[in-house]
Amino acid sequence: MKSAGASRSQLALCYAVLITLLVIVVFPFYWMVVTSFKSEDQMRSLTSMFWPRPFASENYGQLVSKTEFVNWYKNSVFVAVTSTLVATAVGTIGAYALARLKFLGRGFMASATLITYLVPPSILFIPLYAQIKALGMANSLWGLIATYPSFTVPFVTWLLMGYFESIPEELEEAALIDGSTRFGAFYRIILPLAAPGVLAAALYAFTQAWNEFLYALVFITDARLRTLPVGLASFITGDVYGWGYLMSGAVLTTVPVIAAYIYLQKYMVEGLTAGSVKG
Amino acid sequence: MAVPAARLETKVALSPRGRRRALTDVLGRDYRLGLLFVSPIFALVLALVAYPFCYAVYLSLTHKLVGMPPIYVGLENYVRLASDGFFQRAVYNSALFTFGSVGFKLVLGMVMALVLTSQVRWRSFWTGVLLIPWVAPTVVSALNFLWIFDGSLGVLNYLLVKVFGILPQGVGWLSEPGTAMASVIAVNVWRGFPFFGISFLAGLKSIPAELYEAAAVDGATAVQRFAHITLPGLKNIVIIVVLLSTIWTFNDFAIVYILTKGGPGGSTMVLPVLTYETAFGAQRLGEAIAVALYLLPALAITIVVLARYMRRGRKS
Repeated sequence: MKSAGASRSQLALCYAVLITLLVIVVFPFYWMVVTSFKSEDQMRSLTSMFWPRPFASENYGQLVSKTEFVNWYKNSVFVAVTSTLVATAVGTIGAYALARLKFLGRGFMASATLITYLVPPSILFIPLYAQIKALGMANSLWGLIATYPSFTVPFVTWLLMGYFESIPEELEEAALIDGSTRFGAFYRIILPLAAPGVLAAALYAFTQAWNEFLYALVFITDARLRTLPVGLASFITGDVYGWGYLMSGAVLTTVPVIAAYIYLQKYMVEGLTAGSVKG
Repeated sequence: MAVPAARLETKVALSPRGRRRALTDVLGRDYRLGLLFVSPIFALVLALVAYPFCYAVYLSLTHKLVGMPPIYVGLENYVRLASDGFFQRAVYNSALFTFGSVGFKLVLGMVMALVLTSQVRWRSFWTGVLLIPWVAPTVVSALNFLWIFDGSLGVLNYLLVKVFGILPQGVGWLSEPGTAMASVIAVNVWRGFPFFGISFLAGLKSIPAELYEAAAVDGATAVQRFAHITLPGLKNIVIIVVLLSTIWTFNDFAIVYILTKGGPGGSTMVLPVLTYETAFGAQRLGEAIAVALYLLPALAITIVVLARYMRRGRKS
């Protein structure tokens, strides 16, 4: 048996490790926020390093008035929301079919979905670019909306398959015996029970689409049509760039994702562990 | 639009339905709703993955310049790459970047999971905060680190030189070949270790507590319990997470592209960045795809093995 002293020192070690990890994880975000409120002078002179004195809000003003940031924001919202709706709808019904229904080709489709989830964008982006161009969707947000399902749909499907499999089959059978159709059982019994999983999957799809970089970088050439990640990254290759307004843009790009995550953390953590790896 | 599959089954005895019954025997009980529900996925997989993949294989066998028709050249692109020193270096860099990152993520993730299964309080708070790098936009994180690593105004040098006095002068973390690779690996580890931690945590929770109690009664030390209960219990999850992360890390584009663009002097040039540069810098699409597909056999084996583990993990 362990002595109380040993377990207390063990616990202290655990807290020390946690706090170290916390500092490493949080510092870049803290630094991003602090930088976004510093003036050019404060940054160059290395004064008021860890807390801006006084707070400068000019970066945010410049970002909105002098760059295409507002357009990029609109583009990102449009692309991410549309892809999320598509991915969630297609993924939910697909996952239900693959998890619960019996039909020829189910095993094949389940494998195909999983393999698709694992095929990396870095080998698909060139042929997809050629396809998008041939269809006249190059340099258009529709090109992104058309291609983002290649990673959002397999992920949502795989995540929700795990969720549907964890719902007891008896519930559905009871509904079928009571005269409900398969679709009715899915719509009225299973879907409401799976709502937390569907919400988590939708949020992940949104995050993936919101964060996507490679396709948006390759498919879009018009500066006004960029999404936020590509727009922000373009600040470092442009002629004039200041860390101040780059960081204020970074803050505004991170806020929706982190806000959604904090609000729905429980579902997202559970969804991720239930969906992507389940021992 | 709904298919009365249940009703179908109850009425199969009636003769006009006999043919339907034969269909359900061949196509499965719920074939109508099932095929209807998976058809969008089927279309997407075909249009967005299967076709582009085949097209990629074809293009890699051609000379294709942007805006020009492809000219078939057989394996020439691959043969040329095999003796191209820059490409060989990118393969080496990719391996270093991938295995270095995955190794550190594995260790840090295991530490995170073990610490979170101890008696600490506010566990969901710690878990929640530690997962933030995983959900935050990769591009934002990469830009944050670009600024933190900045040679003259970056806060890392400020901390090491002015605050803690560990270094006599600042280091150009991303502009010197000696530190650039370590720096991009650090950022990838920072972003990826929470996923390892959260997955291992879920695995640890599924190991029955009785095993540990029994081991404690038998007088097993903490190290013995870790080696004989924790590790075997986590084996499947560790394999899945490591393989998954190997694929993702090997194909990570954003972090390296934003931090170094493969520089300085090609010291962090990894294959996805080289693919991009060959395609949209040098405009040689055929060769670019050959770069991306060169390690396809290894990728394919990894994907097949991983998919098998992931499906098996689901069934148990």
